[in-house]
Amino acid sequence: MLADAIRSETYRLSKNRTALFWSVLFIPIISVVLGVIAIIVAKAHEADLAGKLPPELLQRAPLNLAESLVKSAADFANPIVLLFILIGAATIYAGDYRWETWRLISARNTRPNLLTGKVVVVIGLTVLATVAGLLADIVTHLVQAVILSRSLSFSTDGAGFTDFVQLTLLSWARIIQFTMLALLAATVTRSLLAALFVPLVISVAQFFLPQMLMQMGVSPEGWVAPLLSPGLATDLLKAVIHGGMEAAGLPPQAALKAVTGLALWIVGPFVAAVAYFKRQDLSKE
Amino acid sequence: METVIDIRGLTKTYGTVRALDGLTLSIPRGGVYGILGPNGAGKSTLFRTLLGLIRPTAGDATIMGGPIGAPTSMRRMGSMIETPRFPPFLTARQVLEWLGRAHGGVTSTEIDHWLQRVGLAEAADRRVRGFSVGMLQRLGVAAALMTKPDLVILDEPTSGMDPPGIQEMRALIRSLADNDGVTIILASHQLQEVQRVCDRVAIFNKGKVVTEGRVSDLTAAGERLRLSVTPLARALAVLGDRASLDGDAVLASVPRAEGPAVIKALVEGGVDIEEARWIGADLEDVFMDQTGWTGVQELNHAG
Repeated sequence: MLADAIRSETYRLSKNRTALFWSVLFIPIISVVLGVIAIIVAKAHEADLAGKLPPELLQRAPLNLAESLVKSAADFANPIVLLFILIGAATIYAGDYRWETWRLISARNTRPNLLTGKVVVVIGLTVLATVAGLLADIVTHLVQAVILSRSLSFSTDGAGFTDFVQLTLLSWARIIQFTMLALLAATVTRSLLAALFVPLVISVAQFFLPQMLMQMGVSPEGWVAPLLSPGLATDLLKAVIHGGMEAAGLPPQAALKAVTGLALWIVGPFVAAVAYFKRQDLSKE
Repeated sequence: METVIDIRGLTKTYGTVRALDGLTLSIPRGGVYGILGPNGAGKSTLFRTLLGLIRPTAGDATIMGGPIGAPTSMRRMGSMIETPRFPPFLTARQVLEWLGRAHGGVTSTEIDHWLQRVGLAEAADRRVRGFSVGMLQRLGVAAALMTKPDLVILDEPTSGMDPPGIQEMRALIRSLADNDGVTIILASHQLQEVQRVCDRVAIFNKGKVVTEGRVSDLTAAGERLRLSVTPLARALAVLGDRASLDGDAVLASVPRAEGPAVIKALVEGGVDIEEARWIGADLEDVFMDQTGWTGVQELNHAG
């Protein structure tokens, strides 16, 4: 039954080219285009810019693709990427309210299955967006290597494959966390705009929250801070991945607290949305 | 009589409005069952409640042996509530594919069959954003029927359709009931259509059932004997307050069983009878009578 719900939602998304373009392809395409333009401009004005650009951009040293991918993975869950992934997530979560199609589909499967099916498809969408973003990064570096006559290397001395995987998973979890807020917002408000903007507003609030908590005397190493701020939890985990607990100067329990905080912000909105949706009147979607 | 739906004291309130007011009704298995009523009588609210889209304030119902919303019952039901809407970027075929997958899968042969049967074969690969209301209705009916349900709920299935479409839909509904053993419950404001296609009807008013029964019984209850007679005055005198004038004829409001006795009394009273025939009340008369609705009231209310 859940598999049916996933198949149905996947099929519908596969036909929604607009949502797929904006949530998966737009940012990678733009990043490749802007990246290539920047490289061409840099090449054309190499002599003029010699003292003004970062030396590594114009040096002839090999480009380390592994290091670059790790950096991209770590920074992937940024607000711009988030905004465009949320377009797809909001369309999936609020679409049946917007098109008044709950009345057609809710009789064909159970409500928890239908909502869980949407979540699985959105998770798939974020995987696609993550992979597309990383592929765009590789393409940009290949073009950079060709135009600037630089060789490519894949040295994992500084940042290994484990780091890459961990940071990718962390970025991905952060994006999933926001899509879960979109799910809850869409279910409660039945509005596509709310599904899009509520997570963005919360992401802005979470940006300032760690500083506010510290000003209020809340220690980032305790339980309260990572539970209240998944952004802080993510930053703690990044620090742990980059340097280990000791290098990051964190107590042994910090990683566990951060993982717990992030997991609660993913599971909590999902459970709340399913519980609410099970009892929701669909008299007028 | 085996029932497919048993409704017991179903109530749904929206603020101070009682859309369903302690509704109790048993719908038999098989055939076509009509739900009639003026706007706001509670027809769509009942359908939405039976489909689990809204929760009743009080009361309950059993559908094919299970409670409202039971997955086993729901999967044996098909429905179309009001004018259906679909994701605008999908084609008609893709709509059925999408809904079919949620149900566990429907083959492309079945999808083609239903598109053909509702007259959408030529528009199968057109996006639904350009569909007329009638085409959306047809697609909604195909979506309701494609999973071979035992029970189908159709809310205004012919709304927005042209006359040939209405005729085709009527034939389809009757065929499903007669040949495939499907129980069909439909609501419609087109009383002539209901009279033609339904076996039984329930008439709703203000969230309650005001009358229920076989269409033939309900219309027979309003039957009158139309008599072309001379002299008129003597016939009126014999029939007393059971008679009324209908042009040059007399209408006698008597049960069919009393017909021969009435004719005998007229003949013995010296009345010549040129023609005597029963004229039935149509469903519209029954509807007007039971709901207290008049066109004048409706117009005044609308104005």
